[in-house]
Amino acid sequence: MKNMLDVLARRSFSAGRMRNLIAVLAIMLTAILFTAVTTIGMGAEESLTLTMQLLKGSRSDGDFHNMTAEQYEALENADFVREYGLRMPVGFLTNVTRHNIEFDVLDPVQADLTFCMPSHGSVPEAENEIVTSDTALKELGVEPKVGAAVTIAFTAHGREYRLDMVVSGWFEATSDQISMMWAGPAFCGAHPDIFEYTYDRDRDMAGTYYSDFMAVSTAGLQNNLDNWVRQMGGDPDAAGSPGLSATINTQTNPAPDPELLLFGSVITVLFILCGYLLIYNVFDIAVMQEIRRYGLYRTVGMSRRQVKQLINRQALWLSCIGIPLGLLIGYFVGKAALPYTVRIFSDSYENVVVNVTPSPAIFAAAAVLTAFTVFLSTRKPVRAAADIPPIEAFRYVEAAAGRKTVKKSSAGVSLPQLAWSNLGRNKRRSAFITASLALCVVLLNCTGIAADSVDIEKQVSYSIRTDFAVVNALSTNIMKGFTRREHGLGPEVISAINAQPGVYGASAVYKNTLDDSNVTYDFPVSFTFTGTDEETGIPYAATEDAVFFNLGDDGHALCNVYGMEEKAIARMNIREGETDAHTLYEQMADGKGVLLGVPSDMGTSVLNPVFDLLDVGDIITVYKNGTPAAELPVLAKAALNGDDQEVRYTVNGPFEVGKDGLFLYLAADIYTTFYDEPAIYKYSFDVEEECRAAVSGFLEDYVTNTDPDLNYISAEDARQDAMATRAMLRFVGGLIGIIFGAAGVLNLANTVITTILARRHEFATMQSIGMTGKQLTRMMIWESVYYAVGACLLGLLLSAVLGFTVIKMLVGGIWYFTFHFTLVPAAVVCAVLLAVAAVVPVAALNVFHKGSIVEKLRVAE
Amino acid sequence: MDIVEIRHLKKYFRDGSQTVRALDGIDLSIEKGKFTAIAGASGSGKTTLLNTIAGLYKPTEGTVIVDGLDLSKMSEDQLTVFRRRKIGFVFQGYNLIPELTIRENILFPLGLDDSRPDCAYFSGLVRLLGLDRYLDARPHMLSGGAQQCTAIARALITKPAIVLADEPTGSFDMKTTQNVAGLLKMTAATFHQTLLVITHNPDLAQLADRVVRLRDGKILS
Amino acid sequence: MSADIILQAKGLKKYYGKGETEIHALDGVDLEIAEGMFVAVIGTSGSGKSTLLNMLGGLDTPTSGTVTIKDTELSGLNDEQLTVFRRRRIGFIFQNYNLIPTLNVWENIVFPLAMDGQKPDKKFVEELVGMLGLEQKINSLPNNLSGGQQQRVAIARALASKPDIVLADEPTGNLDTKTSDNVIGLLHATSQKFRQTILMITHNPDIAQLADQTIRIEDGRIVN
Repeated sequence: MKNMLDVLARRSFSAGRMRNLIAVLAIMLTAILFTAVTTIGMGAEESLTLTMQLLKGSRSDGDFHNMTAEQYEALENADFVREYGLRMPVGFLTNVTRHNIEFDVLDPVQADLTFCMPSHGSVPEAENEIVTSDTALKELGVEPKVGAAVTIAFTAHGREYRLDMVVSGWFEATSDQISMMWAGPAFCGAHPDIFEYTYDRDRDMAGTYYSDFMAVSTAGLQNNLDNWVRQMGGDPDAAGSPGLSATINTQTNPAPDPELLLFGSVITVLFILCGYLLIYNVFDIAVMQEIRRYGLYRTVGMSRRQVKQLINRQALWLSCIGIPLGLLIGYFVGKAALPYTVRIFSDSYENVVVNVTPSPAIFAAAAVLTAFTVFLSTRKPVRAAADIPPIEAFRYVEAAAGRKTVKKSSAGVSLPQLAWSNLGRNKRRSAFITASLALCVVLLNCTGIAADSVDIEKQVSYSIRTDFAVVNALSTNIMKGFTRREHGLGPEVISAINAQPGVYGASAVYKNTLDDSNVTYDFPVSFTFTGTDEETGIPYAATEDAVFFNLGDDGHALCNVYGMEEKAIARMNIREGETDAHTLYEQMADGKGVLLGVPSDMGTSVLNPVFDLLDVGDIITVYKNGTPAAELPVLAKAALNGDDQEVRYTVNGPFEVGKDGLFLYLAADIYTTFYDEPAIYKYSFDVEEECRAAVSGFLEDYVTNTDPDLNYISAEDARQDAMATRAMLRFVGGLIGIIFGAAGVLNLANTVITTILARRHEFATMQSIGMTGKQLTRMMIWESVYYAVGACLLGLLLSAVLGFTVIKMLVGGIWYFTFHFTLVPAAVVCAVLLAVAAVVPVAALNVFHKGSIVEKLRVAE
Repeated sequence: MDIVEIRHLKKYFRDGSQTVRALDGIDLSIEKGKFTAIAGASGSGKTTLLNTIAGLYKPTEGTVIVDGLDLSKMSEDQLTVFRRRKIGFVFQGYNLIPELTIRENILFPLGLDDSRPDCAYFSGLVRLLGLDRYLDARPHMLSGGAQQCTAIARALITKPAIVLADEPTGSFDMKTTQNVAGLLKMTAATFHQTLLVITHNPDLAQLADRVVRLRDGKILS
Repeated sequence: MSADIILQAKGLKKYYGKGETEIHALDGVDLEIAEGMFVAVIGTSGSGKSTLLNMLGGLDTPTSGTVTIKDTELSGLNDEQLTVFRRRRIGFIFQNYNLIPTLNVWENIVFPLAMDGQKPDKKFVEELVGMLGLEQKINSLPNNLSGGQQQRVAIARALASKPDIVLADEPTGNLDTKTSDNVIGLLHATSQKFRQTILMITHNPDIAQLADQTIRIEDGRIVN
């Protein structure tokens, strides 16, 4: 005889179509939730990792640098290394402006690890063949084509080289800023002089060996690397030491970010809660509908364990249907949502590559989480079915009013009252539905607050203080920046801009350069150590807090010095000292003092104490050609944003010139008295609103065709980036919120349908003694609306509470948010929920409460 | 021999602040193989008595011994197994599992124990109760009377110590009542089963060997 | 219709199915019930008595024939109108009481009136409650009442709107003999006191005997 339980389970399963459908829907929704988010999460992580790898230029597990030939050869024997590549650096090409090109000799393994394999053509064989990116080729004035001729220029060992090469292959550039150009090992043979090893003498990279590698295993990799370095005679702990060193590629193997993990855990718990509220109710209702049957089973002798087995088995089958379906749908939902999610990072990185591979990890994680939720949710209902005393179960009337036996009479019996008393039949279930719906309200509102709190203007005003600014293209290259006089703006572009209609408030900004090493500054800050930069040869000094200053010819600090007109000073954020811009400028123009800028917190504009080295009133002595030229007291201090230092997020220019400080702002006329051949690095201006589009077009055309050495930024671009962030938050939050909402509505619909089915007999009675169909419908609508109203009230309350606590805290930590409270999303969702709540019972009654009264009265007990 | 021995049985329930004395001192012995009817007004305690004998209620006071087993000394799980093997149930309605066939319904208690049926015994029961033709049908295809006969067969399949029937003909008209009552008595007698039936139908009570009357939780002498 | 005929049925037929398997549940029933009478309709299971009750109460529509209560012919009413008619002019008593579990005794009794938007005649309802011995339990929920008590509440509910006719379907089917007698006695008493017309169907001849008049139904037809 076949296993009785098995037979029973299978037959019961087949008999409950409607019940199964709802359970599957519930499990599916939960799985969709998890999968969509896992897909987005892993996809975002994958995309970011890839992007970071592309940015860093390598997807390897780690790399070795500064090796000798012998050390390179020894890699063959490193047992923790699975494969490794060859990289012999030459140098950066010098015949470029906007796009940097690094020229090295690579082997195909290295090229593959560092994204340089050609997508068109083939790897370089002959000594004059090279592979590079399409952007690099265009920078060199060549069309990306296999076989094209290209001229490259670079410096190695102090000698200049200019070579004619042929393109053997090319690939799509992955970065706007920099590309790799590489030749094959044959190039070494043809130019042995380039690869002379002189690193120990002059730190010239040409002649050294580098290698990116893939490890056999990432476990204990740091140890392996350290041991290897020691074996090779190096010191892994000496920072910046000459000679061999090895590092792990943190983009490939990033350390887990605790904040991210915490955030992820919170989200996971929230999702489990959503699924729990829904699935619990579904199974609870299913068990209750069959409670008489379980009573019969138990009376006739089925043990508790057998009852549990029976239900657990069916739950398992339901999961086997619901989870795969949910995984599938969730994956596609997540995939579609991914590009929007990743956009949030695009304000810092120019090219974000969006990629998600259907890795088993995504599905496994989501499946496990969903299964766990199902398991958790079914524990109580299963136990209830198994533990309920057979007598109670057998005589159970779902419609019973619970333990109460007495009830005070109200004045009359009205439909809303009837409906309200019905809610009391199963308080826990009512609570779960209300919570389930409220969750949706709360989530959408919190997301709405976050999105509304994206402070677009803050981001814009950090990036740029005017509508437009024109700079040398170097300033828009994060790796370069403005450092030399020759890169200043000429009078042609300035007059061209002034000629444009609608331009006003224009001002030129002067900046000191590395060529101005004869103008220096002395001030009351003590330096604890000095040194010379290996690569540039520039001497520097530093305070004990490691604030670095580049030094000029006479040993005083170069600083970053700007010459500004009053208009420009007026736009700055002056915090201490003389705060009236006009008075301040008058004094500055009289040579009576200087405005000191201090890098500040991006969000609050609070002066960063590490760099806040002087007080108002401190005297700064200006030295020209070694002799004191003026004494300027600090008249005021300003909090600096990106626009004050260079432009948008570029800081490399000032970093190369003055290093960490000081940032001094002089009146333009004063500036020009100190500096020979003063260079204008930026021309900022505003434009009347109606003329902005035209000016944009003009600028675009100018920097592309007339003077490609230049570039421009606009406030509008900054605004677009910021708005993308807001859109992303709305989208992802909305997506999750809608799924939560679907879960809540399913919960409600399930309850309403079950109510109608379970109380069929009761409804028929009421109709036979005089309740019309319309009155019945109204009563059900009241019941449903009570749930919705409860959810709305709870949701509004929680939205307010969470908004002012959790969201405020989260948002406060990120500089480009300004907390902005709103209840509008909650209100909208509430309206929708109320409408849905009114519709569900009408539809359900139509479908499930058909047939004559007589039939329904005859329903078996 | 007495298959059921009840001494000083009391069963009290809490109903809010009140105590309901469902059984208030019952002494009862039921002889093996006999047909006993329990009669009484509604609220007299008949169903409570039946359920206590079945081990579904634990006595507040007193002892209940069925087939030599002291029910008060048994755990919940032991009582479940006890019901499975030693008690046969026939209820007024809702006896059968709708998704199982008649054959499977009858063999259900054995299935819970994973034990093999005595085929001869099974055939005998089925033939006696007129269910041969219906073995592969589902319960809803049978008349009320035939469903009740199925329940009777199930009650007897484990050769229990006692068959407990609670108003087995309560929802039937006279003709069906007579049929089912007769079959119940005959089948029990044929297989020497002890039968305890709660009823307020005087015709059914008449068929019994002995009638026990309850009132307010006590036996009327 | 003469002054004291409350209910009249003419040529009531109810057929189910078609062709060979056509079932004649009611096969031409003529009936007249006079005001104030307590009538029992007796028949075995399958005789058509339940079907007849459903027709008379407007819970189901006949294949042909008419039902007239006082001056209203039921076939002319739609679903909503029938429901309204039932709550004002017909009282129902079911075999399994069919009380609303979330309402207490008082609320159950006045339910049909409340659905009609009427304020209950407090004095009358209190009189009913007293007569049926329900004062102590007036605030109790049905789960706190015995079967007999629940049926008494059902009786009160049926009578509360002073309907033209009370239709009772096996009202004592779930009750023991003593309680049954008690319930029938109450029905009788209220019928006399309030000149209430009551039609009861049953399969139990002893119960039927207690009514003023017995009508026998067999195979969908009235016999005798």
